[in-house]
Amino acid sequence: MTKQYQILEHRADLKIRVFGKTKEEVFLNALFGMQDCLRPELKKPEEKTEREIKIKSPDLSVILVDFLSEILYLSQVNKEIYNDVKFLKFLDTEIEAQLFGKKVERFGEDIKAVTYHQLDVHQREDNIWEATILFDI
Amino acid sequence: MISKFDFKKISDYLWEIPKTFRPDMRVPARAYVSERMLEESFKDKSLEQLVNVATLPGIQKYALAMPDMHEGYSSCIGGVAAIRTSDGIISPGMQGYDVNCGMKLLISEYTEKEIRPYLEKLATVIQKEVPSGLGRGRQIKLSIEQIDKILEGGAQRIVEQGYGEKEDIENCEAQGRLPWADASAVSLQAKNRGRDQVGTLGSGNHFLELQKVEEIFDERVAEVFGLFKDQFVIMIHCGSRGLGHQVCTDYLREFIPLMEKKYKIRVPDREFACVPFNSPEGQRALAASACAANYAWANRQMIAYFVRKAWKSVLGEKASPLLALYDVAHNIIKKEKYIIDGKEIEVAVHRKGATRAFPPGHPEIPEKYRLVGQPVLIPGSMGTASYVLVGTKDGEAAFYSTAHGAGRTMSRHAATRKISGKEVVESLEAKGIIVKCYSFRGIAEEAPTAYKNIDEVIEVVHQAKLSKKVVKLIPLAVIKGE
Repeated sequence: MTKQYQILEHRADLKIRVFGKTKEEVFLNALFGMQDCLRPELKKPEEKTEREIKIKSPDLSVILVDFLSEILYLSQVNKEIYNDVKFLKFLDTEIEAQLFGKKVERFGEDIKAVTYHQLDVHQREDNIWEATILFDI
Repeated sequence: MISKFDFKKISDYLWEIPKTFRPDMRVPARAYVSERMLEESFKDKSLEQLVNVATLPGIQKYALAMPDMHEGYSSCIGGVAAIRTSDGIISPGMQGYDVNCGMKLLISEYTEKEIRPYLEKLATVIQKEVPSGLGRGRQIKLSIEQIDKILEGGAQRIVEQGYGEKEDIENCEAQGRLPWADASAVSLQAKNRGRDQVGTLGSGNHFLELQKVEEIFDERVAEVFGLFKDQFVIMIHCGSRGLGHQVCTDYLREFIPLMEKKYKIRVPDREFACVPFNSPEGQRALAASACAANYAWANRQMIAYFVRKAWKSVLGEKASPLLALYDVAHNIIKKEKYIIDGKEIEVAVHRKGATRAFPPGHPEIPEKYRLVGQPVLIPGSMGTASYVLVGTKDGEAAFYSTAHGAGRTMSRHAATRKISGKEVVESLEAKGIIVKCYSFRGIAEEAPTAYKNIDEVIEVVHQAKLSKKVVKLIPLAVIKGE
């Protein structure tokens, strides 16, 4: 899977547009986009880590934000990033997943939160999924 | 799209979008800006976001924007909404993620000239003493019990433990503690995020600045504030860090379904995520927000402690101490009372990127300042001037609120493309300003060219009488967060 997102213009914060062939891929690329912005410096020698998450939310857009918020929390508290996600359950209102990642020495940037502002997740006519997310930094 | 034709000019520094502009507006929207700044503000979505604020249930008189306004999420940054508590809402999103982001100013008895020989060393030691909290520097991990005590005790808890003076509490908004805080309203996740961040600066636009008093506009008030020409002072800008961010994240997540399904409140942007102020959920959000605000005051107090430690280690034990002039929030929800249509009404003032500015005689300001008014601390962008102002009686028209900074005009991304961090550092050093930072990229994002001119912003709040200029401060050394 490739990292696929672009940074959009926003006065104060960080807005990204993410693409994916499937909903799962769009969620994963959103995660990679978010993590790149944290500018992590990996621990050396490498230390692996594994987590599990379970999320319930009202709809697909909201669950994308809640998914990212949950991972942002885990990432900041445990000082780690995740390079792979295995979805055990993937519905518009419920996600269960295993996260596989690496420990981080430090982050070069802080993301305060994932916002619901102008949030958009949709499938384009060419069947590609696209999401727009604003992070407060 | 909003254009200048939609505005009614109230004065040279106040412009109004009438209630008729959009059917969902409950009150008019007012922006405190000069004509030139108004024209600038059409370049982003700040005015549309201000109109959105005017639709919030229970909003009184006007949705307000300060001259440093710029596009944010939900409300524009620089937004103020006074919402009637009896039938209105509480909106964690309208307060923002960095609960009680604010300013603290420490003043010395020395002139710049006296400190100059120690300046470089002082900046170096302060940078070392005050960690950013992103993994570099000192890391102290508090227990959940200790965090709970900070959430309910605020800066007072920190001072009781020996990390400050009685005067630090007196000279702080709300004496550094909102009593309606209830630690049980804060999630374990939020507390966890706060465990190793007490006394940390953060990243983004958060900074420490060593400054001098460049110009005095009001001798009488400056004297009451303990300020004099060429005085050496230290300014601290930061907030509630990960704990506050998580509190806001948690309540937004909880409130979106509640707002839409249980309370059936319609707002133009889900990010407002509001519930009735007097509902059990609303009261819990208020108690949690107070916890985050208390954490931020504790954080700034702890940073002040580290700064003082550096001060003593560089200048010696006998150096006269750094005193706290004041500490004030610019992202907060507070209950205040105003006379509206002849009746006293309690409102929840949501200030998002706006500084409270109480007038002379107000009971909630320290006794030593009560005759002249509340000190207002407004930082400029990195390397430019900052100001100390004072609250005025006329400020009532804006629910005693004023600007909070310069306000961005360029995205962080655009700033890094336009100018390199190295160039920014070189231009600051050419002006004789010492810069301490961890990365050039972070510096580029905060380049002065990415911000409005602070002098112009201050002129508007001064002319509009939201607060009056007392002194202008200029930077000698900048210590940036990560």
